[in-house]
Amino acid sequence: MDPIALQVLVGGLRAACDEMGATLIRSAYSANVKERHDCSTALFDPAGELVMQAEHIPVHLGSMPDAVAAVLGEDHEPGRSWILNDPYRGGTHLPDVTLVSPIFAAGELLGFAASRAHHADVGGPTPGSMPAFSRTLEEEGVVIPPTVAGKETLEKLASRMRMPRQRLADLRAQEAANRVGVLRLRELCTSLGTAELREGMAEILAYTERRTRAALAELPDGSYRAEDVLEADWDGAERDLRLRLEATIAGEELRLDFSGTGEQVEGNLNCPLSVTKSAAFFAVRVLTDPDGPPSAGAHRPIEVLAPSGSLLNARFPAAVAAGNVETSSRVADLVLAALSQARPGPAQGQGTMNNLTLANDEFTYYETLGGGQGACPEADGPSAIHVAMSNTLNTPAEALETEFPLRVRELALRRRSGGAGTHRGGDGIVREIEALAPMRFSLITERRRHLPRGAGGGEDGAAGVNLLNGSPLPAKAEGNLAPGDRLRLETPGGGGWT
Amino acid sequence: MLLGVDVGGTFTDAVLLDGGEVHTAKVPTTPRQESVGVMRAVERVLRRAGAAASGVDVFAHGMTVGTNALLEERGATTALVATGGFADLLEIGRQNRPHLYRLCAPKPTPLVTPERRFEASERVGPDGVVEPLPGDEPERLAAAVEASGAEAVAVCLLFSYLDPSHERRIAEHLRRRLPGVHVSASHEVLPRFREYERCSTTVIDAYLSPLLGRYLGALGEAATDAGLPQPLVMSSSGGVAPAGEAARAGAWSVLSGPAGGAVGAGLLAGLSGDGNALGFDMGGTSCDVCVVEDGEVRRTDEREIGGRPIQLPMVDVHTVGAGGGSIGWADSGGALQVGPRSAGADPGPACYGRGGAEPTVTDANLMLGRLGGGSELAGGVALDVEAAEHAVGQLADSLGLDPRETAAGILRVADQEMVRALRVVTVERGVDPRGFALLPFGGAGPMHAAAIAEELEIGTILCPRAGGVLSALGLCASERRRDTVRTVMMSEGEMTAERIAATVGSMIEETGAGLDEARPRLTYKLRYAGQAFELPVPGPPDPDPAELREAFEGLHGERYGHVDREGEVVLVDIELAMAVPGPAPRPAAAPGGAVERGHRRVLFDGEWIETPVLRGEPAAGSEAEGPLVFELPEATFVVPPGWSTSVDEHGTIVSRWTR
Repeated sequence: MDPIALQVLVGGLRAACDEMGATLIRSAYSANVKERHDCSTALFDPAGELVMQAEHIPVHLGSMPDAVAAVLGEDHEPGRSWILNDPYRGGTHLPDVTLVSPIFAAGELLGFAASRAHHADVGGPTPGSMPAFSRTLEEEGVVIPPTVAGKETLEKLASRMRMPRQRLADLRAQEAANRVGVLRLRELCTSLGTAELREGMAEILAYTERRTRAALAELPDGSYRAEDVLEADWDGAERDLRLRLEATIAGEELRLDFSGTGEQVEGNLNCPLSVTKSAAFFAVRVLTDPDGPPSAGAHRPIEVLAPSGSLLNARFPAAVAAGNVETSSRVADLVLAALSQARPGPAQGQGTMNNLTLANDEFTYYETLGGGQGACPEADGPSAIHVAMSNTLNTPAEALETEFPLRVRELALRRRSGGAGTHRGGDGIVREIEALAPMRFSLITERRRHLPRGAGGGEDGAAGVNLLNGSPLPAKAEGNLAPGDRLRLETPGGGGWT
Repeated sequence: MLLGVDVGGTFTDAVLLDGGEVHTAKVPTTPRQESVGVMRAVERVLRRAGAAASGVDVFAHGMTVGTNALLEERGATTALVATGGFADLLEIGRQNRPHLYRLCAPKPTPLVTPERRFEASERVGPDGVVEPLPGDEPERLAAAVEASGAEAVAVCLLFSYLDPSHERRIAEHLRRRLPGVHVSASHEVLPRFREYERCSTTVIDAYLSPLLGRYLGALGEAATDAGLPQPLVMSSSGGVAPAGEAARAGAWSVLSGPAGGAVGAGLLAGLSGDGNALGFDMGGTSCDVCVVEDGEVRRTDEREIGGRPIQLPMVDVHTVGAGGGSIGWADSGGALQVGPRSAGADPGPACYGRGGAEPTVTDANLMLGRLGGGSELAGGVALDVEAAEHAVGQLADSLGLDPRETAAGILRVADQEMVRALRVVTVERGVDPRGFALLPFGGAGPMHAAAIAEELEIGTILCPRAGGVLSALGLCASERRRDTVRTVMMSEGEMTAERIAATVGSMIEETGAGLDEARPRLTYKLRYAGQAFELPVPGPPDPDPAELREAFEGLHGERYGHVDREGEVVLVDIELAMAVPGPAPRPAAAPGGAVERGHRRVLFDGEWIETPVLRGEPAAGSEAEGPLVFELPEATFVVPPGWSTSVDEHGTIVSRWTR
């Protein structure tokens, strides 16, 4: 396919994915989707390779292909979609529910449309389904293996979750998004012809691969190591889990070997391999080809190895709620740190999503907070943003207080929390929320004891702080709030760069 | 006579309408003092028409003063008064980063520096006042604002869209106490929920108003000196307001320029078509697209300018970086890209011969015969074919293609970008483009129209006679208008006919003051309880709630493919436009006889075809078949094989796809 037709097809597919995303966000009910855009939409070729994605959330980019792979071998027919959230069969963590729809034209499989959304609740003992201290997958909610998404199945699944009407409505929003994807790919097929569309999708993958290979070839060959920790502060104890990486650049290929990383644990910081890969691909893209089209071609020159049964390639029945949100951030930090030895990269950012869930029998509310970005070789790190695997919006106080028994007491920049340097690290956020009714809270945070590191001679960023009525809480915490209680999060600053 | 003057990035255009007779003029824009260029354009168009200033009944003006000041951050020194604990809201925004993979891509600089952000000790919640505003608080804030040296101040308190009492007291005190300081209060600018977006809009309003006041004051004096009536100023809503009113509403100024083009497209869509058209304005660096339905320009209230949200109901003009000056280049994966970098007006495309060495869209058009070599563009620029061939040739070598293929490719990729822009405003908003005509304007629009129409399966192109100055023409036709939105958040139980009618009544009273002949136009924005986005339902001032629900569900089903019959519906916002219809000009076709015939080789679909070229303005009633090129005074219209054309009484070249 010539370079011109290629650009034209890229534009058409990108518009289709964007339209899928807009449909999902606009008709959704979960605050996670509608206010925070914690969702992704994508199109795949018949072999299950990701050809194009609407770019909302980086952590979904590298992990969606496993969801399609999980249903690839099934018998497909037009109009029969598949649903799943099992982290060991194509999912990431249970709240992320994925719907996959095959796309046919004239009886032939053209590819798949997929949408993933973080649902407000997927059942289990903890409202909001983001428990701080789960020990097995079953304690985190309803596990959905790849299943045909018939009307009755969806109703049955929703009935095992809190607020089933909202769950069903969100699933219908995902169906609507997939319908748009199916329609648009069929239209492209009609205007180009099946053969040309297939060739075009293959060429997009090859093209993205070429771009990534060209960027990798510019990095000096060699092996680069990095090490970091997670804060596994449960049962009242402080302990560190060690993560290791050896990154080897050879010509235009890259191997990321996480051997030496700790075993999976009886907490929920474990990751299925798809989350590890996703975080690794994200970091490579930051350093190689930030503007390329989001297709799986970029992943072809990269090999990701993590020992089976380790934190980064966990096996059933390990709990994974925090793996997707927190461990993934650390994996990105490791890859950035290792490759920064080959070419100067950014200092560490806040390295956490600061997950906060508030809930009682009448509502569940989940949010993640931004913080400081580490400074880059050419610029200051921005303040008060999501730094790595997330890019979700905050929920406006006026939306939050209208829907839930909560009052936001403060939303401010945490000044001077970013590390000094030639370029400064970004500042974190201060957010204080008051409970107006009895409720449970759950906090999953990182970088409360270990500071985001500066790069070169740049200073470290400030560690994050969690406070309940002024008293410190550990990085992971759960408990009850009475009316008038105030939870205050001060998120980490980014490291400086010198 | 109606006079419209539109300031663009490169040229300032004037249109004088004397009955159906259209006179035009184009002069270079004078960037730092736009009013100088405006008055030059006025002078020139009056001279051309042999008319006197005293004969001008309406003088309407579209400007870029506000837009440029915002993009270049040259507005007033501005302070912010916010609810205690929320002074940094403007800087935090929605906490998302501008680029997913460029980690240090900067967020927009806050328009208020940290030392000019002040917190009021008060709190309002969803059910009313939580912590009262102490009696001496407004004075403490006024003293602090004064000491900060601010020329303008924005007041944005939480939940002021529901209960503005605190915000109003502070704003009133600031106005009394600091008469030289412009005060924008969020409940007046935009009484809608979502505090960051409201705050951003209010701050932009404060930031731009002093500057607009000075500019419009100077223009008003110049108009008086020249014997012209006081200017009416185009607002982002697509209607005009007296200069004094516009000078106090900075946030409404940012789309003043593109709004004129959109209204012009609306006018021509009604006169030459059935009222439904996609407006497509392609200039040197960018392309603006908009949707016209039943002669009305479609609006949106979610928009960002330079990364800063402005949530006012504005014309839905979507801009992409594809223009005549957009540069073609080969990326690291060997694909051909066009833009967003542009050669601009200086040095301009390679064929301008002013030192531009990179191949642009204009160079590609010239190489393929779509533009005539040696001919002059509107700005008086002679085109150099060899320079274009040289620039395109170098790119062709790096792509491994032949130069002709490369030139055709540059056009295809640029066309694709514009098709994508048109898809954003149509299919992504639930509109099927196939029911519309394509209405190209701007210097480069008509050259690209046919390819874009074919891609979108649009069968009719309306190429207006005054396409090069359509924005100025639109100004002449604009209605006198004032818009407002109010968040009412009525649950289904609260949504009674009486309550809605009472709210609408008070909105009409507040907004319609002084607009005696204005007719209200209302849009009700509804959603299911639990959703975050609304769908707009037009209705009368006293709608039946059951009918609103029915219309909402119809739209929801159409847009998202499902309806929740048992779901509760919420009325979130009411949007009101008070509009006095503008003059209804009917531009006429040129008298005819002045068309020069020639021919040249033009590449269509990979084949060189000897193509007739008509230079000048064709007379009403003339008909022709493609392939054909019209060289109009300010634009070139390329008609490929398969299209037939006829010129209507307004001088519009109406082209239809015949295959």
